[in-house]
Order: sequence, then structure tokens, then C-alpha cells
Amino acid sequence: MENALSPLRLALGLLAVNSRWFKSSFCVAWLTTTASVMALTPEQLSQLPAAPKHTVDFAREIKPILEARCVNCHGHGRAKGDFRVDTRDTFLQGGSSGKAVVPGKSAESYVIELVMGFDPDNVMPRKGTKLTREQIALLRAWIDQGMKWEQDFSFARSEPLNLTPRRPKLPAGREPNPIDRLLAPYFAANKIKPSKPVDDRVFARRAYLDVIGLLPPPAELESFVADKTKDKRAQLIRRLLADNENYALHWMSFWNDMLRNDYKGTGYIDGGRKQITQWLYSSLETNKPYDRFVAELVNPTPECEGFTKGIVWRGVVNASQTPQMQAAQNISQVFMGVNLKCASCHDSFINDWQLADAYSLASVYADGPLELVECDKPTGKTASPKFIYPQLGELETSTNKGVRLDHLAKIITQREDGRLTRTLVNRFWQQFFGRGLVEPVDDMEKPAWNADLLDWLAEDFADHGYDVKHLIQTMLTSRAYQLPPVPLTEQTTTAYVFRGPQVRRMSAEQFRDAVGALAAAWYDKPAAPIVRSNGRTNHFAAVRAALVPADTLQIALGRPNREQVVTVRSSTATTLQALELTNGSELAALLARGADSTMARHAGATNEKLVLETYQKALGRKPTTKELKTACELVGQPVQKAGVEDLMWSLAMLPEFQLIH
Amino acid sequence: MNTNLNWSRRDFLKTAGAATLSALAAGFPRAVLSNEADVEKLKATADTVIVLWMGGGMAHTETFDPKRYTPFKKGMSADSFLSTFPSIDTSVDHIKFSAGLERMASVMDRGTLIRSYTAGDLGFILHSRHQYQWHTGYAPPQTVAAPHLGAIIARTLGPLNPAVPAFINIGQRFDNGEAEELKAFTTAGFLGSEYGPFNIPFPDQAADTVRPPRGMTPGRFEDRNKFYKKLLAASPIGTHGSDYQRESLLRSMDNAHRLLSSPAAKAFDLSLEPLDSIRKYVPGYQPGQKFEAKRDRFGAKYEDEMVGRFGLGCLLARRLTEVGARFVEVTTEYIPFLNWDTHENGHTRLEAMKKQIDAPIAQLVLDLEARGLLDRTLMVLASEFSRDALIEGKPDKKVKDQVEVPEKVEDPKHYGMHRHFTDAGCVLLYGGGVKKGHLHGLTADERPCKTIKDRVVIEDLHASIFRAVGISPKLAYEIEKRPFYVTRDGEGEPINELFA
Repeated sequence: MENALSPLRLALGLLAVNSRWFKSSFCVAWLTTTASVMALTPEQLSQLPAAPKHTVDFAREIKPILEARCVNCHGHGRAKGDFRVDTRDTFLQGGSSGKAVVPGKSAESYVIELVMGFDPDNVMPRKGTKLTREQIALLRAWIDQGMKWEQDFSFARSEPLNLTPRRPKLPAGREPNPIDRLLAPYFAANKIKPSKPVDDRVFARRAYLDVIGLLPPPAELESFVADKTKDKRAQLIRRLLADNENYALHWMSFWNDMLRNDYKGTGYIDGGRKQITQWLYSSLETNKPYDRFVAELVNPTPECEGFTKGIVWRGVVNASQTPQMQAAQNISQVFMGVNLKCASCHDSFINDWQLADAYSLASVYADGPLELVECDKPTGKTASPKFIYPQLGELETSTNKGVRLDHLAKIITQREDGRLTRTLVNRFWQQFFGRGLVEPVDDMEKPAWNADLLDWLAEDFADHGYDVKHLIQTMLTSRAYQLPPVPLTEQTTTAYVFRGPQVRRMSAEQFRDAVGALAAAWYDKPAAPIVRSNGRTNHFAAVRAALVPADTLQIALGRPNREQVVTVRSSTATTLQALELTNGSELAALLARGADSTMARHAGATNEKLVLETYQKALGRKPTTKELKTACELVGQPVQKAGVEDLMWSLAMLPEFQLIH
Repeated sequence: MNTNLNWSRRDFLKTAGAATLSALAAGFPRAVLSNEADVEKLKATADTVIVLWMGGGMAHTETFDPKRYTPFKKGMSADSFLSTFPSIDTSVDHIKFSAGLERMASVMDRGTLIRSYTAGDLGFILHSRHQYQWHTGYAPPQTVAAPHLGAIIARTLGPLNPAVPAFINIGQRFDNGEAEELKAFTTAGFLGSEYGPFNIPFPDQAADTVRPPRGMTPGRFEDRNKFYKKLLAASPIGTHGSDYQRESLLRSMDNAHRLLSSPAAKAFDLSLEPLDSIRKYVPGYQPGQKFEAKRDRFGAKYEDEMVGRFGLGCLLARRLTEVGARFVEVTTEYIPFLNWDTHENGHTRLEAMKKQIDAPIAQLVLDLEARGLLDRTLMVLASEFSRDALIEGKPDKKVKDQVEVPEKVEDPKHYGMHRHFTDAGCVLLYGGGVKKGHLHGLTADERPCKTIKDRVVIEDLHASIFRAVGISPKLAYEIEKRPFYVTRDGEGEPINELFA
């Protein structure tokens, strides 16, 4: 009886989808017809497109049609209407409406009737573009010719990519940095002759901004340029990484975006959200190993529970936004590079994740059993606590949440989890090179453009005790990082070829801090008390942008509202940003302060001296003769305050200032 | 004034396109039409949308849907009054307004009144949540940052005049309680900040937003730009090649500079408006008059002292519409417990609220009409929900009472609509192709004064606004590889009866 009922229940379940994203009619394909194979009328037969005479090629002609039009519902682990096109066998088995095909007889095959759309209420595919007559003709020929299938090919859900550790062999070579050894065959294959590394000034500016988020102070820059030591670049990276305070203040923003931590925002007002600022700062300042960092977030102490507690919105929220579901979504996205958002409402249409996967992970965080709710409609099914990748180990089905969380943290951070490490490696590569090894960075089931590089770096990272600074050191001392900047062009994902770091734009915080250094104007005090590892509270050399809530300037420059996880910020310049930079009161006030202090320092000096210093501070170089002349004219002699403000503004507006070359 | 409206979207794309291209090149944000082929093309009946936002919950029975009036009497029972004002006639026979809206009553023949707007069931009734839903069409929270109605229109249609930001938001400050919640929907969300709001919190200071920074003369401003260009040309790094980052940066600077020095920027400057014309929006206005009431909780005098601020916002909206604004929102401003958010003294405070809106809205209708702009401008007056003296939420879906209502009203401060009522609400539409002198929807004449005919929900109201500007409710933008529809799940249906 149960068996006989199940298709009906399935049908009802699917009808109830009434999806957040698609009309409900989308899903019910193979179930609504009562009889399975009905003979076509002579009139309908006459409408069928004639099958082409040539022998069809499954891989070239049929697979793309199935891939584009069928497998979203009948492949990749889905079986709408109990029908799967995974393999020739499952195709032949048919679904709950009966046989789908009769090999050799396309005119008698139900699938042809459906794609022809003879019954307007029952057309395949349900959603999206219908098949063209040419495509139907090809399908007919394929069926008539006996449905040849590619050996061992399947549309079934494949083994997840980038999940288990893999240690590629490091190619031999003279390059000291493993990244360059790994890239050598890649460059050879793509016929790229790597250019000469950038000069010291460009390198230093990159390194300072990338490691500590600040412009190189002129004195440090000049002594670096003058330094004749052979490995001075590696030394510089080490020195910057050792600046724990500024390292932490730079990377705070990156992690605040990902962990949705801020000083103000929805939920904080009534205890529906909890800061993790102290924990985060300390973790970064002490360079907490990444496996511990993640384990603490997954199985939190009160200090860092804000991440998995999520945001409790007042009022009724839909089932995909319960705190447990937020935890499931955010853990998957941030640490594993997996998007569970769709699947937390219904089986995803964009990837293979299903409602049950999302609920299984969410229920690890639930205090009691969680019922699966599909598009806000209860299903009657209960989720059992599981991690999204059972390949990494079965989760203990303890009724004790503490035990479950402890075990979950162990599963995610175990040495055999090659996804955790790859996801982080990829995020850092994206930060430093402008584009991930895998793109988008939150879709780690996509192949990397250089799997050996990703896999090797991930293993090396784990081998070195999940030391994030080691990872940064490895990346930033590579020749690859020192290649000339590559302009961002309209490169499509498939055509991407790595030639060097892309030109990037400063983040809101980097810009604000750069202007802060130029104008010697910082914020007054941190928004939250932060105890440093030396025991002192809120004792910072400068109150940088990351320590305060977003102001108008930072918002305009793209510091996000942290209600959603943000892993990549948009770096596009917009008119509204430019307006804020052109006439916003915050920047104007900073420049006025900067002009005052600069003039006080240069009292009685020539305008030339002032211009020289300003160029050094802003751009890390001397002005050219032409620039010097123009800038002196702008500043005036005697020096005018308005002129100094306008010089600082003009320099700060230059792409040379705002972009990271 | 430059009223050149012939700027086409194509012209705009020529100037702003690089920014978009660069976004695409970077693969982020992925905001592209995912279903262009599926979307039917609608013929627009409006080029501009002006939303007049009555933030805080405007009681329908005290404004555009008056019911039986019971004057205040010490000791009256709390369930004895449905309206605390008498009704007045409007220029349309069968439509009555509440007293205090005489000017608006006189122009009712220009518009359509919806009396059956029903807010969503979001559980615990919170202004910011319902405002989020009204402005984005989605109930918060969402897994992606949902864009504001104005941002969707800005993204889909672009600016009408490239020198005027496509989405202008007038009158809301973001330093009050619930400010973070307001910010969550006053945004372009995943569409990207290019389409975000151009915020003008103080209409009387609007000129500052398009002027050189305070203290900078126009001459110095121009000089600064010239020197910047010279230094840019002289900068040896990154002056050649075609990097999108660089191009979008330079183009954005040019756009900003053009906007700031464009003739259209004068539209922001209310000091250029003749005094007698300002006084039609703000009776008794004195040049330089400031609106700076103290924001005390339950400040009974607050609304009185702020009469005029919203009027200036409406005047600004008119001036911006004249030079080619695409989407403008003017709010009476939402501040918890102030303006329309009447938890006590409802009657007295509504007198002031009606003073705030009556003259300017009527004048805006008349001015746009006189300039021949009303036909192509859709004005939408709305609020997140209504109010009632007794019922919190909907009659059949009771939620926790948030306001104490005594059984016997001894103190005048308890005379008014103090609870949040979600089962009815008024929306006024003028111009942009809607019917004139039309009434849509009906509410009960006895408590609960709820919708009993032609219920209107946010999806359909949005679909109607989109229909007016020629956008299909099924239009979707792609984010994280999934479609995000401009009305929830693409299910909004335009209410065709509203249109002429």
C-alpha cells in the first residue's frame, strides 16, 4: 500500500512546492497524465519533425539537449516523477507515468509526445525554453537508432569536487617558490612568457595594502627601495605579517563581512544578534590556526557564538531563515564554499543540494528534531542531523547538542577535509590576485583553473598547522604575485587565463585608512572595547576604519550592510560613490584636518617641499617635473590651505591612488 | 530651467556603461536579466514615479476612509469611536475624506483611491519590517539583499535624465531608533550601489547634496577639477591601456562632476523657487525657516513644529520631476513614536500630520498637471499599515497588543488610533495613466473596519506601479544563479481596473 501511495504523495508534495522562485507548475511533469503511453493521432504524427538521416552522435548532439533541458529535474540526483535520465538504463526504466521511450520507435515514445507539447497542460520541459523542432528531430533519430549512450557516462550526482585532500607532485625547477613551480607548466601550456616582476615601489604598495591594508609610509618605503638585500621582498612580507596590530585591523573587515559581524545593525538593538568582535580581533592578532578558528566558530564559546546564533529577526520569518538554517547556510558558504540558500527552501534548481541536506545540517544546531518545511509548508518529514558531506564521516546522532557540535567541528576541521583548506586558499588567492582559482569563490564544486596549484596550496596550508600567515607568505613571495598588473577586461569564465594579479580597487576601509594616513586624521575611538593581547583595552596606534561602524563615506565606497554573508565586495566605481568623494562632508572634513596639520608642519617652508611630501605619502614616489609644477601652482606660494586640501583631494582621486596595481 | 527630457536610456548607457561592463567582467554582482524572453513588454504610461511615504502607519479611518465620527467625551468607551474627525466632501461625489484634508479633497477628481490595501502577516507588528516589505515586495529577512522599489526601477529603466540620479530619497534621516532596519531596505541590495538611493534627508538642504563641499566657491570647485585633470594626465602610472577599474573610476568622477555642474542641479536648490510658490506647499513659509523640533519620545508638539518639512520635500519632488527624475520618494519621515506612529494623542497629532501633507500633496498634483507632467508621472501615497483604536493586527489573526488602551477614555491622550491595524489601508494614486476620480476597494463601516472588497496586496500594488512604467512583474534579475523577481516569485498581477 505504501508503495502504491508514494507517487501520489510525491505528486502532492511537488504540487505544494509553490516555489519561492518558480511557479508550482514547473515540477509536476510526469505525474499529471493518467495513462502513460498514448498513441498519437494521425494528425499529431504528421506534425512530428522528420528525423535526420545521419547517425547521431550522442556526445555531440544529444547530451547537450539532455543536459540543458532535462537533467535539472531528472538528473543530478533528482527524480521528478520518479524518472531519471542519468543513464541509458534509467532512461529506459521510465517513471511513474510508465515507459518514457520505446527504442527504435520514436513516434511511440512518450518523451517525444511530451516535448512536442501536444497536451498544453503537460509539456516538457516545464520551465524554460521548449525544444526546437531540430532538437526534437535529433531526439527522434537518436531513439530510432537505438539510443546509443556514451560508455560509462552518467548524469547522476557526481562525486563532489575539491573535497578530499590531494597532494600533487611539485614539479622540478629552479623557482624557489612552489607556486611558480606549479605555474611553470601552466604558463608553458598557455604559451605565456611571464613578464618581469614589478619594481620595488609597486611591490611594496601591493604588499602593504594586501597584508596590513595601509599605504607604505614614505620612510619605510625609501629604506626598502634602498635596501640591497637579495631576499628583501620576502623580508618585507615577513615584517608586515609580524605587525600583528595592523594585520588584525586589516583582516577584521574581511572576516566581519563573512561572519556578519558589526557594531550596529539589525538585531543588535534587542539582543537578537551578538558581536564576536573581541574574539575575532584576538584570533587575528594571535594568528589563531585556521582549523581552531573554524572549530571555535562551529562549536562556539559564548565569545564567538554570535556567528552561529545568527540574526534573530523580530516577528515571523520564513522557515529558511530560522537561526539554525542561517547557521547551516553560513557554515556551508563560508567554510565549505557551498550555497545552501536555495536548498533551505526547496530542492535547489541551481545545484544538486536538496532540502533534506540543508535541514540535516540545520538540525545539528536545533534543540529538538526539525521538521522539513518546503517553501513554508511543513512536509511531515523530520531531518536527522548530518553534515552536508557524509563522505567526511558520519555525524554522531546524539541528542546532546553539545556532543553534535563538537563532532561537527571535528568533521569540518579534520585533516581529511580538503574542502575547508581549499575554500580558504581560494578566498585568499582571490583577495591577492583579483580572481579565485575557483570562481565564483562560493561555488567550490567548480573545478579550479589550476587544480594542482589549489590542491598543493591547500595541503601545504594544512601541513603548516593551518597557519594563515604562512599561506599569505607563500602567495606573496611568489613570482606570480610580483607579475605586472593585468587589466580587468571582459574575460569570460571559460576563457580565463592567468597572467598575473588583476588591477584591484581599494576597499572602503583601505581608502579611508589611506586618506587617514595622508591627512593624519583617524577616527576618535573604537566602537567596541577590544582588549589586546598585551592586556590593554582599545590601545591602537590609530583608530582605523575597521574599528568603527560604517559612516557615509565607507558605505558609499562599498562597505556592506552585514545582514548577509559577503565574501566578495563589488569593486565597481559608481556615480553615487564619486558624488560622495566629490562633495561629501566626511572626506572634506578629513582633508581640511590634513591641510591644517600639513601646513603646521611646513610652516615657512616652500610649497615645493610640501608637494614633495604629499606625493610621497599618497603615491609613494616623487612627482615628475610636470606634476611638481602643476601641484605647486595649485598649492600656491605662500601655501594656501584651500590649495593643500585640493591637492590632497586630487591625488586621492587618481586611479594611481585608489587602485592596487 | 533645463527641461530637456529627451535623454534616452541609450545615451545614459553610453556614459555609464563601462561601470556595468566592469561589474560583468569581474563576475560580480551578477545582476542580469535571467528571463528576458519570458517577460512580456508593457507599454509605459508613466516615466516618473513619486512615492509619498506616510511612515509610521496612517490610520485609514482618520484620513481617506472616514467612518462614524464620535467627538471626545470624558469617560467615553474606547470602542465607541471609529473616527475622531468628521468627514468632508471631496470633488468626487461618493468619496469622503476626514476633516483636515480639504485641499486634497479638492483634487480627488484627479486620482484613484484604494481603500483595500492589506499589509502582510509578518507576525509581531513592526514598522520597519512592514516598511521593508512595502518597499522591496519581500518579507524580511531574505538570503540576499533585496533591492528597494526605486532601485529596481533605476536598474531597469535607468535615469530619465543622466544628470539626475535615478533614485532619489527625500526626508528620511538614518540616525533614529530602527535606523539600521531602515537602511536594510533603503538600498539597491544585490543590484549594486550604482542603483542605490541618492539620499536627501533635509529637503531644505538639498542644494548642498549637489553643490561643491561647504565653504568651496564654484570657482574653486571648477579649478580643483581642472587641476585634478591635469595631475591625472601627468600621472605616469596607469594612464594608458584600458583597465575597467580605471575606466569606471574616471567615468564615475566625470558623471559626478557633470551632475554637480549640470543645469539640472539647480532643481535641487529650493532657494530658486519664488516665495509665493513655496508658500503654496508650506503656508506661511519664511525664507531660511528651519524644521528642527526635538525628537522626544511621544513629543506631542513634534508634528506641529515639523509642519512644512514634508511640504518642501514635495516641492523638491516637483522640481526634480521637471528636470527628469525617474523615481523619487518623499517621506513624512519614520521615527519611532513620532509622526504617523501615534501610540497616544492620536487625534491631536493627526491634526498636525494632516497639516503636514494636505497642502503640498494637493499642490504637487496641481503643479504637475499645470506643467503637463501629471499624465506621465505616477504619484503613489502609501503607508506600511493602518491603525485602529482597539485592534492590533488583523481581526482574525490577533497579535500581541503593543499599546495600552483603557476601557474608558478619561484623558484626551487616549483619543485616537493607537494600535497597528493591518486589515485595511489607503493608497492614493494620481497621474501616470490611472483613472481619475476612481475608488477601488471597500471597508466595513463598523469595527472591525476591514477590507471587504477588492483586497490589494503589495505584490499587486507593485505590479501596478511596474505596469505604469512598463516593467513586467515577472521580470527577474539573477543573483547567485537564481532569479530574483521584481514582484515576489513573479506573482504580482497589475490591477488593471486602476488604469484609465
